[in-house]
Amino acid sequence: MSLEKVIFGFFVLLAATLNFGFFIGDISDPALHNEYELFAAVVVNLIATVLKFGDRTQIGAVHLATSLVADLQLIAATLAWVYATQISGAGMTGEATASVVSLSGGALLANLVSVALLVIETVSFNRR
Amino acid sequence: MDGKPRPKGRTTVTRPTEPSSTIFLILRRMRAPLIVLIVIFAISVLGLTLMPGQDPEGRPTRMGFFDAFYFMSYTATTIGYGEIPHSFTGAQRLWVIASIYLSVVGWAYAIGSLLTLVRDRAFREALALRRFTRQVVHMREPFLLIVGYGQTGQLLGHALDSLGRRLVVLDDTPEHVDSLDIDAYYADVPGLVADGANPHMLGAAGLEHPQCEGVVALTNNDEVNLTVAMTAALIRPNLPVIARTVSPVIEHRMRAFGSPTVVNPFDRFGDHIRLALHQPSSFQLLAWLIKGEGATLPERGRPPTSGRWVVCGYGRFGHKLVDDLRADGLEVTVIDLSATEPGVIEGDASEPTVMAQAALSSAVGFVAGTHNDATNLSLVAAARKENPSLFIGARQNRPRNAPLFATMDVDWLLVPAETAAREIYAQLSTPLTWRFLQEMPARGDDWAAETITMLDAHCGSRLDGLWKVTLTEREAPALTAWLRSDRAPLGDLMRCPHDRDQRIAAVPLLLLRGDESTLGPSDDTLLRTGDQILFAGRRIARRDLLDTMTNHVVSEYVLYGRTVPAGWLWQQVTGRKPSTHR
Repeated sequence: MSLEKVIFGFFVLLAATLNFGFFIGDISDPALHNEYELFAAVVVNLIATVLKFGDRTQIGAVHLATSLVADLQLIAATLAWVYATQISGAGMTGEATASVVSLSGGALLANLVSVALLVIETVSFNRR
Repeated sequence: MDGKPRPKGRTTVTRPTEPSSTIFLILRRMRAPLIVLIVIFAISVLGLTLMPGQDPEGRPTRMGFFDAFYFMSYTATTIGYGEIPHSFTGAQRLWVIASIYLSVVGWAYAIGSLLTLVRDRAFREALALRRFTRQVVHMREPFLLIVGYGQTGQLLGHALDSLGRRLVVLDDTPEHVDSLDIDAYYADVPGLVADGANPHMLGAAGLEHPQCEGVVALTNNDEVNLTVAMTAALIRPNLPVIARTVSPVIEHRMRAFGSPTVVNPFDRFGDHIRLALHQPSSFQLLAWLIKGEGATLPERGRPPTSGRWVVCGYGRFGHKLVDDLRADGLEVTVIDLSATEPGVIEGDASEPTVMAQAALSSAVGFVAGTHNDATNLSLVAAARKENPSLFIGARQNRPRNAPLFATMDVDWLLVPAETAAREIYAQLSTPLTWRFLQEMPARGDDWAAETITMLDAHCGSRLDGLWKVTLTEREAPALTAWLRSDRAPLGDLMRCPHDRDQRIAAVPLLLLRGDESTLGPSDDTLLRTGDQILFAGRRIARRDLLDTMTNHVVSEYVLYGRTVPAGWLWQQVTGRKPSTHR
């Protein structure tokens, strides 16, 4: 068991679970989607991305790509949230919440792919 | 995940190209600092949103994520716009103090890591290799790969560069590669500090490049030269390879792979010395031609062919020299620091008592052949004092000492690095010259003396140029019909385009037909299509000859003495057309 693998798996999974936690619930109900959870999801996703830097293998490259997609989606969700709360002046309406949550839903998909890759890597790992 | 077996067949040594490898290296090294930075930011922003605050009316409020991120961004980057949206409470200020110090540490760590990375040796080597590989890949002209760029390499490099040849250099000493930037070269010479014995590096240096026209191995390490010759023979079997060595054993091993040209400078000395002893004129001609363009006729040395020689220094060079002198039936007294065999005088030759043992007054020749230039110079001076009539040879090891040796005015200056460089240059620049030099001693001393007299009479004592002419339809279109006529004596070609009763200032040295060579072809030698001729002579003669070969009007006059109008109209009007046409 290597600590590096533990940390890597931990962050990849945590990114997916936090993302899922934020996403779950009625898509247009602001009360069901906590902004702290979105914040945590963004931070953990960024860390997971950096952890995937510099891996030259094919699977490592796909890992990095999925993480970058998740980052992009989550940052877009954050920007939508910033627009709703700071710029539009209307606050978190049902529509605004829906757009934030649906963007994070896209990130969730990417994160699920990431987890799937992690599982595949683990299963296909044979002691050499 | 590139564990796929490569299909058998052509071997490749170039590493799988990874154009983004430097990027990956940066990313890999920056992983920890980036994570630290993200965590610090996250903690600071999160803490700021949780700290209790107040609005101007004193109502409790909390900072939003957006404001907190905004505040942390300008605080952490030391810009600092002040407290927004409201004045901070004590709790918020306390937290901000903590986050400021945290973020400073984070930035310092990240920037520090980046700077370390830029100065990192591995990183810079990766960058240099990448730039070098790209330069080599983009070579569009034939180039020579030189491994080992010490004295010999640099001499050869400069000579070839001024000929307009392209080079790629590999050397494991940074100073040698740096000399590429410091010295003046006409063309850009890509160079890399790397071990020439590493096949990957040879691959990166263009061993497999289609434009690579040859490999020259000139490192000081015989093993490395052997590895280079072997690698080249295995990867590119038909590529010409020239390798230097001073060891006969290595030479033998080199020849086991393909057919490399092996240059052994010490061995070559022996050949030159024997030539100089037996055929002074042949040696004079060789010394003149091998010096290349611009060389003036060297004086004919008169080394004593009988009597006793004294040789100082009995290393590899000394051994070779003594063997060659003894093989010529000369008596040799050897002085060396350690007597390895009976008959060798042991001791420092610069000590008068040791010198006295060698009895210089009764000797005829003296060679200072140690590997130390200062010692050699002092030995020469001491020997002269003892016996002014001695024939003196000295070995010069470092090029920078050349002026000192020049003022000593020794009869024979032996410069191993220069010998190797000249010889390789002769082989690479004009293979016909090389062939001439190889076959010339067999013609005897009188023939060489005649050739020198002829060269001196026609072109003066300064060698303007050596050039090769190929009598093909492409290179000599104006001679096509003449060559086919079977009545094409060389003497006619040598007539001057201005006055055909005179000769151009050039001497044909060698005629190569197929694989058969004729040295010093006479004027009535009949030429055929495809013949190659090596000329020595003035530059103007070269231009004249080129005129004769390419211009129908000129060739008509030179070959047949007919004056033909140059223009089509006058040719039609006068009815005089060049018969060499068609």
